[in-house]
Amino acid sequence: MESQVKEAQEKVVSAENPEITAPADWQPVIMGILCNWCSYAGSDLTGTSRIQYPPNIRIIRVPCSSRVDPWFIIKSLQTTADGVLISGCHPGDCHYISGNYYARRRFLVTKKLLNFVGYHENRVQFSWVSAAEGPKFAKVVAKVTEDIKKLGPLHRNKKENF
Amino acid sequence: MNFPIFETDKAGLQKFYEGVIGNNETYAPVEKFGKYDYKRVSKLSECDPDSPIEMTMSIKPLFFPKTAKVLKMQEDSSGTTLSETEEDPMAGKRVILGVKHCDARSLQVLDQVYTWDYIDTDYQKRRANTLIISTRCDKAGNQCFCTSLDYDVENSDAYDVHIVNGLDGKIYLQAVTEKGATFLNSSSIQHPASANAKEEISNHYKSFAASFRLKMNYSEINAKLQNAFESPEFENASSNCIGCNTCAFICPTCHCFKISDEKIKDTGVRYKSYDSCNSGYFTLMAGGHNPRTVKYRRWRQRAMHKFVYYKERFGVNLCVGCGHCAISCPVNISIFDVVNQVAK
Amino acid sequence: MDYSKQIQEIASKLFTENKIDYFAGYRKNTFDDNQVPVLVTDPAEVPKLVFTDQSVFNLTNYLKPEHTKRKRVGIVVKGCDSRALNLLLTEKQVTRENLYIIGVCCEGILNEKGEKAQNCLECVMPDPVVYDEIIGTPTGKKEYQVNVDIKELAEKALSERADYFEEIFANCIRCNACRHSCPLCYCAKCCIDQETSSLYHGANTSSGAMHALMTWSLHLAGRCVDCRNCEKACPSHLPLHLLHKQNEKVIFENFQQHLAGMEKDDRGAFYKYSLSDPDDFIM
Repeated sequence: MESQVKEAQEKVVSAENPEITAPADWQPVIMGILCNWCSYAGSDLTGTSRIQYPPNIRIIRVPCSSRVDPWFIIKSLQTTADGVLISGCHPGDCHYISGNYYARRRFLVTKKLLNFVGYHENRVQFSWVSAAEGPKFAKVVAKVTEDIKKLGPLHRNKKENF
Repeated sequence: MNFPIFETDKAGLQKFYEGVIGNNETYAPVEKFGKYDYKRVSKLSECDPDSPIEMTMSIKPLFFPKTAKVLKMQEDSSGTTLSETEEDPMAGKRVILGVKHCDARSLQVLDQVYTWDYIDTDYQKRRANTLIISTRCDKAGNQCFCTSLDYDVENSDAYDVHIVNGLDGKIYLQAVTEKGATFLNSSSIQHPASANAKEEISNHYKSFAASFRLKMNYSEINAKLQNAFESPEFENASSNCIGCNTCAFICPTCHCFKISDEKIKDTGVRYKSYDSCNSGYFTLMAGGHNPRTVKYRRWRQRAMHKFVYYKERFGVNLCVGCGHCAISCPVNISIFDVVNQVAK
Repeated sequence: MDYSKQIQEIASKLFTENKIDYFAGYRKNTFDDNQVPVLVTDPAEVPKLVFTDQSVFNLTNYLKPEHTKRKRVGIVVKGCDSRALNLLLTEKQVTRENLYIIGVCCEGILNEKGEKAQNCLECVMPDPVVYDEIIGTPTGKKEYQVNVDIKELAEKALSERADYFEEIFANCIRCNACRHSCPLCYCAKCCIDQETSSLYHGANTSSGAMHALMTWSLHLAGRCVDCRNCEKACPSHLPLHLLHKQNEKVIFENFQQHLAGMEKDDRGAFYKYSLSDPDDFIM
C-alpha cells in the first residue's frame, strides 16, 4: 500500500494528455513577459532585496503589457514553454497611460480561447506588479510555478519533434 | 497489352477490398468534415472507395505531401552537422483504392518534371512502390473536362487495375499493367467475365463521355493561347479571384514548393512545403523586385503553364481536367472558363 | 427573397451616370444554384446580376486595393456585410465618397438543403447599418444568441476538445483562403508570413496551422462579423466559426455587449476599453 502511494507520488500527469507523465521532480519552463516600467523593475527589486523565487521563469522585457500579442503566447507554448506569465502595471498606473487597459481585454479573450482549444486555463496567467512590489513578484512566480508543476509537461501542438 | 477481364458483383467487390486492405498497406478516401482525403486505413468500414467526385481530394499528397522533412541540422561548438531525416513513411509498398483516373493521369504528367533536371528520388520511390486501383466514374462531375484534353481517357495506362460498373449489378475488373495483373491473380477476383463484358465496358465509356457539361477543342485552345500572352482578357477572366493558394494546393499536378528552416535552440529541420504561384509574394526576389505583383499576371502565368508551357517542354498538358480547382475555389473560378475566354 | 431586378436597375443607372468604375454583385452559375461574386466593369454584363437567398459571399472583400484599385465601387451588402463595411470605413481602408452602397434587408441565406444557414439563424443584424439606398423592409436588431456548437464543445472534457481541435489543425493545408476571403484581413503582408520574424513558421505542419489559425482569429477578435466567408472558402471544410464565435461570446459577455461593426465609428472591441473591464483573472 505504502509503495503504491509512493509510486503515485512519483509521477506527474500532463493535464491535456493523460497518457504523458513526468517524474515528480520535473521542472517546468515558464515564459515570463514583463513590462519594462513596472513589472520588470519590480522583478529587479525582488532580486536586489535578495528574495528567492523559483528559477523556472525565463524573463523577456517589453515596453508595455499591451505590446504582448497573443501570438507570443501561442508561440511560447509551442516551443519549450510549459506555461506563460505576463505581467504589467496596475490599471491606472500604466507608463503609457492606457496600455494595460487595452491589454487586459486581449488577455481575457486569449485565455478563454486557449482554454477552449484544449489548454488548461492555468497554463497562461497574468498579474499586475508595480515597480515597488518586489515581494509580490516572488509570490506570483512561486504560485505560477506551483500551478504549472501540478499540470505536468505541456504536450499539445508542440512544434513537431525533430 | 490486353489483360483478361474479370467479373464480380457488389458483395464480391467488398470482399476484394477487404482482401486488399487486409494484406497490404492501403490508402483510401476517408471522410473528415465533409471532404474525402486519402488516408491509411485498416478496415473497409473506415473508408469509402466510391466517394463522390466533387468531395474527394486528389492523391497528390501521397506522392508530394503538403509538408516533408528534407534534412536535419545540429549545431555545436565545432559548427553545424547535417543529417538525413528518418525513413520516409510513405516509401513502403502500398495500394491506393478508389482513385479517379484523372488523378492517376496526373502522376504520369508529374513524372516528366520529377525526372527532368533533378531526379526526385523520394517521389520515384513512392511511385515505384504504389499500386493504383481506379474506379471509372459513372458520369462526369459538373466541373470535369478530362475527355477534352490531350490524353486517351478510355485506354489510359495510368493506373494498374481498372474497375468499371457494368449492367445488372455486374462489376468488371481488368488489369492495365503487368503489376496490376500479378496483383489481381493473387486476389479474390477469379471469375472471368462473359463475352459481352468488352461491349458493356465500351458502352459505359460512351455514356460517361456523353455526360460531360464541359467540352473544348484542346488543340485549338492550345494554339490560340500560345499567341495570347498580351491578351487583355486575362484581366477580365480573373477579376474576381481573391488570390489565395487553394487551386494550386488542391491541383493534382501543381508541384511548386517552398523551403523553410525551423529551429529550436540548436537543432533544426528543413521542410519542403506546398507553395503557389498565385501567392502575391511568390516572385518576390531578394532586393525587392516582384514581377508579378498584379493579380492577372499571376493568373496568366498559371493558365499558360497549365496549357502551354508544360506541353511545349514535356509534350503533355499539365492540366488533366479534373475540376478540383473549380470545386474548391472560394469564388468558383474554373481554369476551363479562363482559357476559353482568353482563347475566344 | 429576390431583388435581382432592383439590383440590375440600380447598377445600370450607376453606370449610365458614370458614378462607378466597378459594380460588385453576384451572378448565377449556369449549371447549379450556386452564385459567384463578380466585379462588373462593362454595363453589358449588368443583366447577369442577381440577388437571392443564395447570395452568400461577403462582397466587401473586393474593396481591398488589389481587386478594385481604390476606384469607385457600387456594392451590394446584406446586414453582416454592412457591419464589415462599417469597420473598414472606420479603419480607413475605403473612402466613403468612392462607394455607392446598396443595402439589402436580408432574410437569411439558404443552404443546399433549403434550410437557413447557421449564422443566419443566429443573426443579430439582418438590416444594413450603412447604405446609400436600402432595399427590403428593416426588421431591427435581434437578440444575441450563443452559437450552438460553442455551447456543445464547452461541455466536453478538456482532452476531448483538445483532440477535436488537433484534428482540425492537422487538416489545414495553409492555403490562406480564409485570410484572403475575409474582408477584414487586409494587411499587405500578413504577420504570419514575415519570413524574417523569429516567430515565423513556414512549413505546412499541424503546429504551424494551429499557430496561424489561432493568431488569425485573435487578430480578428472583436472585428469578425460572422459572414462565414472563411468557412465557405476553406477547401478542407474546417469549422472555423468555432474560433471566431468563441471570441465573440467572450467579448459580448464581458465587454459591454460589444458586437463588431454595429456602431458607425466602431473599430472593434480591442480598440477601446472600459475602466470596469473584468480584472479578477489577473493576480
